[in-house]
Amino acid sequence: MTIAAVFASYVRPAVADSGLPECDLMVAPQTIDELEHILDLASEHQLKAVIWGGGTHQGIGGRIDPDLLIATSQLNRLIDWQPEDFTVTVEAGMRVSDLEEMLADRGQMAVLPELPGAATIGGVMAAGVSGWRRARYGPTRDRVLEVDLVTGDGRRVRAGGRVVKNVTGFDLPRLAVGSYGSLGVIAQACLKLWPEPSTKVTVSVADGDRALATAYRPTAVVESDGVAKVYLGGTEAEVDGQVEALDGTVVPGWSWEPEPTGVVGWSLRVPPASTRSAIERLPSGWRYQAGLGVGEIKAASVDAEGAAELRAWAESQGGALVIVSGPAGLYSDMDPWGTPPPGLDLQRELIRRFDPCRVVNPGRLPGGI
Amino acid sequence: MTLIGDLVEILGPDRVLSEPLERYLYGTDGGVARGEVIVVVLPETASEVSDVVIAAKRHGSPIVPRGAGTGLAGGAAPAVPSVVVSLTNMKNIEIDLGNRTAWVGPGVINLDLSKLTRSSGFHFAPDPSSQSACTIGGNVANNSGGPHCLAEGTTTSHVLAVEIVTADGEIVLLGGPAPDPIGLDLRSVVVGSEGLLGIITRTLVKLTPNPLDVRTILAGFATMEDAVATSSGIVARGVVPAALEIMDQKMTRAVENFVGAGFPTDAAAILLAEVAGHPAAVEAEARLVEQVANENHVTSLRVAADGVERAKLWLGRKSAFGAVAQLAPDYYLHDTVVPRTQLVATMQKIYEIAERHDVLMLNVFHAGDGNLHPLVAFDASVEGQLDIVHAAMEEVARVCIEAGGALSGEHGIGLEKRDLMPLLYNEADLDAQARLREAFDPDGLFNPQKVLPAGSRCADLGRPLPTGAWL
Repeated sequence: MTIAAVFASYVRPAVADSGLPECDLMVAPQTIDELEHILDLASEHQLKAVIWGGGTHQGIGGRIDPDLLIATSQLNRLIDWQPEDFTVTVEAGMRVSDLEEMLADRGQMAVLPELPGAATIGGVMAAGVSGWRRARYGPTRDRVLEVDLVTGDGRRVRAGGRVVKNVTGFDLPRLAVGSYGSLGVIAQACLKLWPEPSTKVTVSVADGDRALATAYRPTAVVESDGVAKVYLGGTEAEVDGQVEALDGTVVPGWSWEPEPTGVVGWSLRVPPASTRSAIERLPSGWRYQAGLGVGEIKAASVDAEGAAELRAWAESQGGALVIVSGPAGLYSDMDPWGTPPPGLDLQRELIRRFDPCRVVNPGRLPGGI
Repeated sequence: MTLIGDLVEILGPDRVLSEPLERYLYGTDGGVARGEVIVVVLPETASEVSDVVIAAKRHGSPIVPRGAGTGLAGGAAPAVPSVVVSLTNMKNIEIDLGNRTAWVGPGVINLDLSKLTRSSGFHFAPDPSSQSACTIGGNVANNSGGPHCLAEGTTTSHVLAVEIVTADGEIVLLGGPAPDPIGLDLRSVVVGSEGLLGIITRTLVKLTPNPLDVRTILAGFATMEDAVATSSGIVARGVVPAALEIMDQKMTRAVENFVGAGFPTDAAAILLAEVAGHPAAVEAEARLVEQVANENHVTSLRVAADGVERAKLWLGRKSAFGAVAQLAPDYYLHDTVVPRTQLVATMQKIYEIAERHDVLMLNVFHAGDGNLHPLVAFDASVEGQLDIVHAAMEEVARVCIEAGGALSGEHGIGLEKRDLMPLLYNEADLDAQARLREAFDPDGLFNPQKVLPAGSRCADLGRPLPTGAWL
C-alpha cells in the first residue's frame, strides 16, 4: 500500500485551497481521534510532518522538507466557555481573531496577539508568540491553563486543568508554549481570560521612554519607527488621570500598528532595560516595532547585513536575534535561532520521550533538534 | 569512603548534620508526613550542590532538596531514606532595578526580598501566608501562590530563569533576562516540579511595582453563599481585585481569638477584599466591591483606615493555619481548586462530608481564584484519627474534582496527594508526566516517590524509544 493510500481517508478537499505550501501529502483531521491516528501512522512510516495552523509563523526555525502536512483548520471548535469563570476551551485550529471576537461579546479577552491575521490558537501557542499587552497581562504562556497534546507517536495527553490556579503535576501546558510541536501537536487548550477594561485609549507621545516612566503599569508602550503609542485601560477616572500626565494625542480604543514588513523579518529579544540600546543598534534601514519595558522588538529589513553583529550583541545581553521570515537562502547562510541555549541534552531527552520517531517538525528548534 | 565521609570532604564537618536529633528535625515539613533522613547537608554554592549530587549518586542515595520546610503536602519529607539538601544557606540577592528583576538564592526568605526592595518601590508578588518563613527556592519548586496571586499570577509568572543542578551534577541555566528564551521552555517545568527535576540553585525573579494606592475591605455575611456570591460578583463585573479571601465562622473565631484582627465573629463568613493600583482605579473598584456586597446582603462592612489596620487584617488572614493550634494539636488540609462558579455547591458538599465523618472542619480560601483550603483540626496521637481525616479528605478531593477542579492550587502534590492523581489524570496523562520526569532524572535520584503514583510510567504506551545515537 502506498503512503498516500494509508492516509487517503484524511485528505480533505478543503485543504487544497487554503494557501498551503507544496507537499505531496496533505491531511486535515476533523477530530482529535483522527489526529492521533495520523501521527501514529506517521510514526510507523517514519514520516516528517509539518503542522499548519494559519501559516503565520512558519518562517521561524529550521527548515523542513516534509513528507506530510497536517492542517489543523478543521479542529476549530469551541469546546467550553465559562464566562463567569473566565476560562475558555477551544480546539487548536480556531483562529485567534474568531476567538477574540466571540469573547468580546461578553466583555472578555484572551489577550493574544493584537493583529493575528490568520493565526490560530495552536499556532500562537506552538510558536510562543505574545501580543504587546504582555507588558501588563504577561505573555501567552501565562494564559494557558490546560493543554491536550497529541504526542509525536499519536497518544493524546492532557495536562493542567480548567481552573485559573493549578499546580497538579508538571506544567506541560506552559512547556507546550514555544515547543514548535516537538512534544506533539497541540490539539486543544483551555485559556485564562481577562475582563476587557471599561475604558481604553491610545495616546501618541513624543517620547516613549518618558511615557513608560510616567504611566502607572500601562497596558503597553509600543514604539514603531520612532513614533510611540501608549495603550491604557481601566476605569474612566483612572485612564483620564493617566492621560493628563502623558501629554499626548488621545484616540479612544486601542489602535494597533501593523508589524513592519520586509524581505527579512526578525524578532530581537533583549532585557527590558536594553530596549533603547537595541533600537539604536538596529542596522540602518531596518524598520521596527518595539515593546518598551518588555524587551521584544519586531523588525524588518531588505537583507541580513549587520545582523550577525546585532545578534552577537543581543546574545551578550542574554537575548537573541531570531529570523521570523526570509528567503530560503538566508536560512543556510545564517542559523535561524543563533547560539543554542544551555540544556540541549535535556531538551533532546524530553523530545525523545514524546516523539520517539521524530515526526513533528524535526530540526525546527534551536540546535537543530 | 562512606557517604558521610565524602560529604564532609566536600562541605567540612560543620555543614554535614548526622546526629539523630538533627536527622529527626529534617524528616518532615509543615504537614503530617515524616520520613527517614540519612544525613543533612547545607551547601552554599551551586558547585557544592553539584559535588553533593555526584557523591550521593555514587553511593546510590536519593536526594530530597528543601527550603524552610513550610510545605504542607509532605514534599520535603523523604519517602525513602535520603540525603536532605537544605538550601537555606544560599541567600545571595542581586537586584537589577533597571530590568525590575533580582537574582536570588534559593534560601532567601520570601518577605525579605520584598522588604529589601520596598524603598525602591517594588516587591516580589507571590505572597504565601508563610512568607515570613518560606524560601523563594521553595516557592519556585512548588509554584507557590498566595492571596495576591489573584491579580498578579502565581510564582511561575514571576520567574524568568532558574539555575539547576541536574541529576548528573551538571549546573544548567534555563531561561534568561530577555523575553521568550529560545528552545523548549524547561524553566517552566522546573517551576512547580517539587524537587523532582533538579535542585534550584539560583532564580531570576521579576519585581512588581508597588501599588500607588491600596484599599482593604472587610465584609461580614450571614451566609457563606452571600460571601461567595459577592466575591464572584465582583469578578463577573470585570474587576480583578488584588485579593479576595473568605473565611468561615469557625476559622474567623479561631483567628480572632488568636490575633484580635477585628473580624466580626458573629458573621457566618467574612470576605477580605483588597483593591490596589492607580488611586482613581482603587476608588472606583472599592465602590464596586461595596455595591456588590450590599446587593448580597452584607451585614457589616469596614474599610481599613490606614496601613496599620490593613496590616492587622492581613495578619489575621495569614495567621489562619497557626490559629488552629488553639483547637487541636494537628491539622490536615487540602488546597483543591474549583471553578469559581462551583464554589457554593462545593463548599456545601465539603461541610456535609465533615459532618458525616464527625471531624472539626474550618475553611479559609482564596475565593477569587476558587482555591479552597478545607482544613481539619485533629489530634494525631489519638489512634485512628489520622485515618478518619484521610478518609474525609479523600472525599473532599473527589468532590472538588467532580466539580471540574484540580488537586492543588499552590501547595503541591508531594506525598499527601500523590495517590489521588489518578482521580484527575488517566494512564496516558500520568505516563507523560513520568516521561518528563525520566528525561531529567532517569534513575529517580531526586525526591523519589513524590507527585506521581507508583506505576505512572507505563511501558506499554507509545512506541519504544529508539536506542543509540539520534539526530
